[in-house]
Amino acid sequence: MLACGIDVGSRNVSAVIINDEAILTHYIITSAEEGSSIARRVVNEALAQTNSKFNDIQYIVVTGCGRNSVPFANRQSAEVVCQAKGAFYLYPKARTVINLGAESSRAVKLNAEGKVISFVKNDKCAAGSGLFLETMSQLLDTPLELMGELSLKADSCEEVSSICAVFAESEVISHIHKGIPKQYILAGVHKAVTTKIIELIGTLGVNRDIILTGGVAKNQAVVRELEHKIKSDIIVPNEPQIIGALGAALIARDSIKSEQSHRD
Amino acid sequence: MLNDFESYREERHQKTKAWKAKTGGKVLGTLCCSVPEELIHAAGMLPVRLLGEHEPTTEADLHLPTNLCPYCKSWFDQLLKGSYDYLDGIIIPNVCNVIKASYGFSKYLLKLSYVRFVDIPQRISPDGVEFFAKNLNDFKKSLEDFSGKPISNEALRHSIDVYNENRNMLDKLYNLRKMYPGDLKGSHVQSVVISSMLMPKEEHNQLLARLLKDLDKTGKKAGNGTNLFISASILDDTEFLELIEECGGNVVADDMPMGSRYFYGLVDTKDEPLHALAERYLTKIACPRKMLPADRLAFSLSRMEGAKIKGTIIHSMRACDPHLYEYPLLRQEMESRGLPVLFFRGEETATEREQQKNDIEAFIEMLQDSAE
Repeated sequence: MLACGIDVGSRNVSAVIINDEAILTHYIITSAEEGSSIARRVVNEALAQTNSKFNDIQYIVVTGCGRNSVPFANRQSAEVVCQAKGAFYLYPKARTVINLGAESSRAVKLNAEGKVISFVKNDKCAAGSGLFLETMSQLLDTPLELMGELSLKADSCEEVSSICAVFAESEVISHIHKGIPKQYILAGVHKAVTTKIIELIGTLGVNRDIILTGGVAKNQAVVRELEHKIKSDIIVPNEPQIIGALGAALIARDSIKSEQSHRD
Repeated sequence: MLNDFESYREERHQKTKAWKAKTGGKVLGTLCCSVPEELIHAAGMLPVRLLGEHEPTTEADLHLPTNLCPYCKSWFDQLLKGSYDYLDGIIIPNVCNVIKASYGFSKYLLKLSYVRFVDIPQRISPDGVEFFAKNLNDFKKSLEDFSGKPISNEALRHSIDVYNENRNMLDKLYNLRKMYPGDLKGSHVQSVVISSMLMPKEEHNQLLARLLKDLDKTGKKAGNGTNLFISASILDDTEFLELIEECGGNVVADDMPMGSRYFYGLVDTKDEPLHALAERYLTKIACPRKMLPADRLAFSLSRMEGAKIKGTIIHSMRACDPHLYEYPLLRQEMESRGLPVLFFRGEETATEREQQKNDIEAFIEMLQDSAE
C-alpha cells in the first residue's frame, strides 16, 4: 500500500510517499512552475528513488497554498492539520508546531492525541517570513544557507526594524553603506524575524515540546534566537520542509485504511 | 423570496431615490445601532444605514489618515464620491472615536444641510438613561425643526410598535436559523437584517412576515455544515458569511452590529416613549464601546443558547479599538468553554479573500478532525 502527500508551497513543492509502516521516500523542488505539473514532477522524482510507479500510489492528499491546482489528488487538506499530523508522527510529545514557510508563518497547538486545538497565522506582513530572509540574503550578498552560520559568529548586533519588511530593507542598505560588518547586520535581521514570530505565537501561547518546521527552520540563527526568546529547547526535524507533505501522506494512509474497513 | 432582501443592499441607492420621488420624504443617513431610528421614522423621514463598498477609498484618503477604521473611511468615501447624493442629512452618534470624529469632517466636508450629533453616555447606568432621554428630547426637537412639523407622542408610539414588530420577527428568524440552518443560511439571515436598516420599516415588516410564513412550510433541515458563532465589529455585507459557507461552515448565531445587536431588545411600550427609547438604546445594545466585557460575553453566550456550535470566528475591522481591546479576553473565555477561536483583522476591500478562505478551511477541518 502506498500513500502520498504533496505540499504545494509558495516557494517549495515537496512530496512524501509512505507505506503501512514507514516513510519510503521524499523529494523537494524549488520552483515557480504551475502547480499541477510541478506536483506531478515532484512525485515522480520521489518515486525515482524507489521501485514503484505512479499508478502504485493508492491515495494522494495535497496541502499547501497551491493545493487547489492539483486535480489528480484524491483530496485536499489544510496546512495546519498536515503540519500537526506530520510533526506528531515524528515526535509524539509535540504540543506546539511553529511552521515558518516562505510567505506564511503559523503556530499550531496540539493535544495529547495529536489533534489541532488552536492555531494562529501571520497577518499580511512579510517581516517574519522566509521571503524576507531571501531578500536580506540578496541584499547582503550572502547565500541563504550561510546566513545563520555567519550571524552566529557575530559578537554584536545592529538593530533592524521588525515593523515592516520594506523599512527593514532600507535600514539594512544604510547599515551596509556605513560599513557595518555583515554578521552584525545579519544578527539584527534574525532578531527582527524572531520578534515577529514571537508576536505571532504570543496570542496562542506555547506548550512543550515545540517543533519548528518549514524552510526557515534550517536557519540556525533563527532557531537559537527563538529558543532564547521562548526560553525553551526547540526540536527541528532532519527535513523540516517535508513535514506538511508527511502529514498529508499520513492522512492519505488513514483514508486508504478507512476505505478498506468500509469495504470489509 | 430571500432575493428581495439580498438584492436590496445592491440596489439601495435606486430604491431610496424611488422612495423619495414617490413620497417626497427626506432621507437621513445613520451610523451604528445606537441612533433611535423610531424618532426619524416618527418625523416622517427614512433612516438608512450608511454602508461601505469594496473599492479603494480614493476621495476619503485625501482627508483622513491611513490607519483609520476602513469601514468609516469607506462610507465617507462613498459620500464624497456622490453615491449618497440623495441624502438630506446624517446623524452621527457619540460611539467609537472615529464615528465621533466623523461629525467634524462631515460638517466641514459634506454639503449637507443637516448633520446632527447625538451624544450617548459612556456607561450603562440609570443616570445614563435619564441623561440620554434628555438628549433624545433635543434630538427630537432638532428633527422637528428640520422636517418642519412636530412629532406627536402618538406618532412616536406607532413608530415604536412598527420597530418592535420588526425586532420580534427578526428574533423569530434567528431562532429558525439556529434550529434549522439547513433551511436558512447565515448569509441569508444577515441580508434580511441589513435590508431592515435600509428599507422603509413597514415594507420590511410585510416582506419578513411573508418569509416567516414561507419558512413555516419548509422541511426543517438541520443542515450538514459545521455550525459556527461569529462575533464581528462591522461586516456591512454578506460576503464574509458567504465565504464561511463556501468553506463548509454555517453561521447559526452572531454578535454583530449588522446582525443580532441591531434588533435585540424591545422598546418598552408602557413607558414614556423617549425614556423607553433611551433605556433600550443605551442598555440593550451589546457594543464594546459602552458595555462591559462580562456583559458582552453574557450576551454572546445567550445568542448561542440552543445551537450546536463547534467554534467561534472573531472578525474585527482593522483599527477598531473597542473590539480589538476586547479580543484577547473574548478568545480566552470562548476557548475556556471548549469553543476554538479563529481570529481575523479585516479590511473593507475584500483583498484578503484567498488567505481568509485558507484559514477558514483549516479551522473547519480542525473542528471536524477533533470531532472524529
